[in-house]
Amino acid sequence: MIKKFDKKDEESGSGSNPFQHLEKSAVLQEARIFNETPINPRRCLHILTKIIYLLNQGEHFGTTEATEAFFAMTRLFQSNDQTLRRMCYLTIKEMANISEDVIIVTSSLTKDMTGKEDVYRGPAIRALCRITDTTMLQAIERYMKQAIVDKVPSVSSSALVSSLHMVRMSYDVVKRWVNEAQEAASSDNIMVQYHALGLLYHLRKNDRLAVSKMLNKFTKSGLKSPFAYCMLIRIASKLLEETEGGHDSPLFDFIESCLRNKHEMVVYEAASAIVHMPNCTARELAPAVSVLQLFCSSPKAALRYAAVRTLNKVAMKHPSAVTACNLDLENLITDSNRSIATLAITTLLKTGSESSVDRLMKQISSFVSEISDEFKVVVVQAISALCQKYPRKHSVMMNFLSNMLRDDVSCGGFEYKRAIVDCIISIIEENPDSKETGLAHLCEFIEDCEHTVLATKILHLLGKEGPRTPSPSKYIRFIFNRVVLESEAVRAAAVSALAKFGAQNDDLLPSVLVLMQRCMMDSDDEVRDRATFYMNVLQQKQKALNAAYVFNGLSVSVPGLEKSLHQYTLEPTEKPFDMKSVPLANTPITEQKTEFAPVATSKLPEKPGPTRQDIYQEQLAGIPEFQGLGPLFKSSEAVQLTEAETEYVVRCVKHTFARHMVFQFDCTNTLNDQLLQKVMVQMEPSEAYDVLHYVPAANLPYSQPGSCYSLVSLPEDDPTAVSCTFSCTLKYLVKDCDPNTGEPDDDGYDDEYVLEDLEVTVADHIQKVLKPNFAAAWDEVGDDFEKEETFALASVRTLEEAVGNIISFLGMQPCERSDKVPENKNSHILFLAGVFRGGHDVLVRSRLALADGVTMQVTVRSSDKTVVDIILASVG
Amino acid sequence: MGLLDKLTVWLGLKKKEVNVLCLGLDNSGKTTIINQLKPSNQSLFGPLSDDWKHISQTQTQDIVPTIGFNIEKFKSSSLSFTVFDMSGQSRYRNLWEHYYKESHAIIFVIDSGDKLRMVVAKEELDTLLNHQDIRSRRMPVLFFANKSDLRESMSSVKVSQLLCLENIKDKPWHICSSDAVKGDGLQEGVDWLQGTILCVCVCVRTSPQGHLIFGLAVKLTVEVSI
Ligand SMILES: Nc1nc2c(ncn2[C@@H]2O[C@H](COP(=O)(O)OP(=O)(O)OP(=O)(O)O)[C@@H](O)[C@H]2O)c(=O)[nH]1
Ligand SMILES: [Mg+2]
Repeated sequence: MIKKFDKKDEESGSGSNPFQHLEKSAVLQEARIFNETPINPRRCLHILTKIIYLLNQGEHFGTTEATEAFFAMTRLFQSNDQTLRRMCYLTIKEMANISEDVIIVTSSLTKDMTGKEDVYRGPAIRALCRITDTTMLQAIERYMKQAIVDKVPSVSSSALVSSLHMVRMSYDVVKRWVNEAQEAASSDNIMVQYHALGLLYHLRKNDRLAVSKMLNKFTKSGLKSPFAYCMLIRIASKLLEETEGGHDSPLFDFIESCLRNKHEMVVYEAASAIVHMPNCTARELAPAVSVLQLFCSSPKAALRYAAVRTLNKVAMKHPSAVTACNLDLENLITDSNRSIATLAITTLLKTGSESSVDRLMKQISSFVSEISDEFKVVVVQAISALCQKYPRKHSVMMNFLSNMLRDDVSCGGFEYKRAIVDCIISIIEENPDSKETGLAHLCEFIEDCEHTVLATKILHLLGKEGPRTPSPSKYIRFIFNRVVLESEAVRAAAVSALAKFGAQNDDLLPSVLVLMQRCMMDSDDEVRDRATFYMNVLQQKQKALNAAYVFNGLSVSVPGLEKSLHQYTLEPTEKPFDMKSVPLANTPITEQKTEFAPVATSKLPEKPGPTRQDIYQEQLAGIPEFQGLGPLFKSSEAVQLTEAETEYVVRCVKHTFARHMVFQFDCTNTLNDQLLQKVMVQMEPSEAYDVLHYVPAANLPYSQPGSCYSLVSLPEDDPTAVSCTFSCTLKYLVKDCDPNTGEPDDDGYDDEYVLEDLEVTVADHIQKVLKPNFAAAWDEVGDDFEKEETFALASVRTLEEAVGNIISFLGMQPCERSDKVPENKNSHILFLAGVFRGGHDVLVRSRLALADGVTMQVTVRSSDKTVVDIILASVG
Repeated sequence: MGLLDKLTVWLGLKKKEVNVLCLGLDNSGKTTIINQLKPSNQSLFGPLSDDWKHISQTQTQDIVPTIGFNIEKFKSSSLSFTVFDMSGQSRYRNLWEHYYKESHAIIFVIDSGDKLRMVVAKEELDTLLNHQDIRSRRMPVLFFANKSDLRESMSSVKVSQLLCLENIKDKPWHICSSDAVKGDGLQEGVDWLQGTILCVCVCVRTSPQGHLIFGLAVKLTVEVSI
């Protein structure tokens, strides 16, 4: 019995579904009557319906039982009952992937597709294409060609759509049907024309020139089908986007002209295409917006919906253009269609003035409970955008959001809740004033929150922000409640949050320790382990310990740590495990994201997989010359050493080790009449860097990328020499070859190619590390080797620019969101954290003041004296 | 079967339907034979719409190998045949067996010009006759030694020797030489098949332990047609 659908049926009235209690085995048993002679079409029809129903409910059919049912079904082809035959086509399509030997019906379907009965022909083509593979396709090719140009529209459409599906599988075969598709494109039938255009486009879409020729042809000759027009508009705007040029092209003119088409569908498509174009000028935008404005007052709900939805989407990009429609949008606020009303209000929220916010929020509160989750998310997103625009309105928003959270405790899905929580968090981060209210709302929310991901996220935030509020003690109760009531993951997160309160607030420490004691008796290993660990750290009452182990966690790569520990256990030694030998995580965990990722694409946190650096580490370890360099410290982004469109394309990735650097040159040969061999990049350093070894790429055939490497030792005697310029030359042996076969000549000649210079800078020696609590880290490192200097950045005009420059120059991680410069300020403090090659922590505090250029006071702390000197020397 | 159906059969208005499997190696001429037996038209795929007329002209020379099977129907004087014309290509031969159980007779076609593959044909035939769904049944088997028009073709006697047909003891069988393109020899075969099917029914009726193949309806037909 299928239990899972019972609920739905209860809702829709009692027992309305005749298939409710179907059982697969019983249905398959019944299917045996397919084998009886003569055939009873009515009964067979009913059984096929049941089978298709079960398949669509997700019932699993084993290969054997599916195949048996399928072959029994094939016997039904002897009946000439039309309904039964068409049901067979459906069954074939449904079972195409679960039964074996479905090609058995090929000839029967071919016969139907070419036969007299038009009702059979289209569906037979569709079914045939589902069971056909590339080899079989050749056998039915001529029938397909013929069907594409058939004068019966349903046949032609079926053939075109099926061809489109098969492009993916057998591009080369379908490509041969272009002429037929072309003929179909001039059909009088609007669907046939549309489908033909679709096929033509998909056959050519990788060839820009062919696509634009096709567009040119159809926009000139004109088409009958509005569907085809919509498609042309989409193709044209895609092409426009790719060319990145201005809009004074015939393509844009075409789209513009479609605004005057007699079909609403085409008009809407054109308007939507224009408003979604990047870099549209106000003048280009105006006609499109006025069309949408017109639709806003259409009697057709679908048009109103389309218009307001589109305006909503572009409201942030073109606020002034959309403001022009405000009056029309106001009229839609009370639209009886709630989706339209919601979109209208949220659009107005995005474009409206600060004064209208309260009124709109009130309006939307009146029906927010009636709209679906999807639209609630739209509302939340609008609010989030609004908060950024009008920070002073945060209390109204915060109230609204918390009401939404509260009202929908029982209903409302994860995405919706997540949107609200993210929005509250971003308000807290943007507006320090709202921190306490926001935290209070979130505390209340986690009292009754079934989503582990959200609960742990909020607990993490409470641990980070709570201890720094004026009255931290009030959060303790909420956090401890989690330890008592929730699942393991949430309990563990709560323990970590508690520890942060104990570490930061001396007067709370005794009670936190008591609570920790309780947590040490938890039934879950992870919770107990965390509690025991924090208990022991906190009892030491040492600032440095707290900073390193409570506030700022490990910054190593997790897969790297796993590997290093495994290695350590394999080679027993007296020495303790050295944390510094573990590669760092090279993409630091970013601070709580405030941007709105498109909700649909968001994923739950994943298990950390191998990072780009882990992959490099493994690749390099496979090259014998690079054994014994120690763990890979950092890999840079790829640097281009050639122009984009040259004979040879070379990019370099710089890999930094404790005392060496490996340069990886990824080369591509774009000449199809050459084979390169023994390819290497010769490097001439400007400083005392030694090139120890070259590892050439043996072969570099046309268009297949290959890599060669250079191993360089860093100067031992002058540790401050962190930057160096290398002049680079690509050297290789050329063998001319036949462009068609790739067959090379026997003899070759040496040649070389000058590349751009390669720079090594201080950033290559520093790995980013995020310190969630910078002050604690600052204390932890201490001022043993602190140095301070002041610089004038003459050429820099703004604080943002200065901040950006420093970050990219030093290659360090900005902490405490200090990379964001508040508006209208003329001073700012930037906090940067990193680890220097060799494993020394390095922290930079940079006070910036704006006055006729930017003055910068840099304070550097590190656990190593040389590192401090290097940083200051390189800045100066 | 409802009373009305019985009545129409009894009155000879509706003919008894029998399922026949048409087997044999690829290119032996199965589809061509069935095509000839079909009423009215000569096309491969049943009546053609106008659009397809020009294709069909090329088709008669260049017949398409069957992929899977085709179902065709034709009538003899007192039976209505539903033929499953199977594909003979080696990779599809294992699909034949799906249709054994519900078939009442077999037409096995041999290309009598294809000496080379006669052993293959024999092997397939032996496998067929030994299949559990066929072995113990008294199913009539009609052999067409087809393509008798070819100069190098063997006689039906020679073919039956090569296939060791005399070893088939438990099934009524018959071999005709045929030329499917012209249609020669086909009617003789179908007449034999009809006669044997009807006779098997009579025998079954009289044999105490034999099982019924067709039941009451056919017995009536037999009595009517005798
Ligand atoms: N000369 C001659 N040619 C024949 C005769 N019967 C069939 N053919 C030809 O033999 C070829 C194969 O015939 P088909 O009927 O497709 O053979 P088939 O047994 O159905 O083949 P598959 O479907 O692949 O199993 C065609 O070109 C026919 O024209 C015949 O009696 N004499
Ligand atoms: Mg055939």
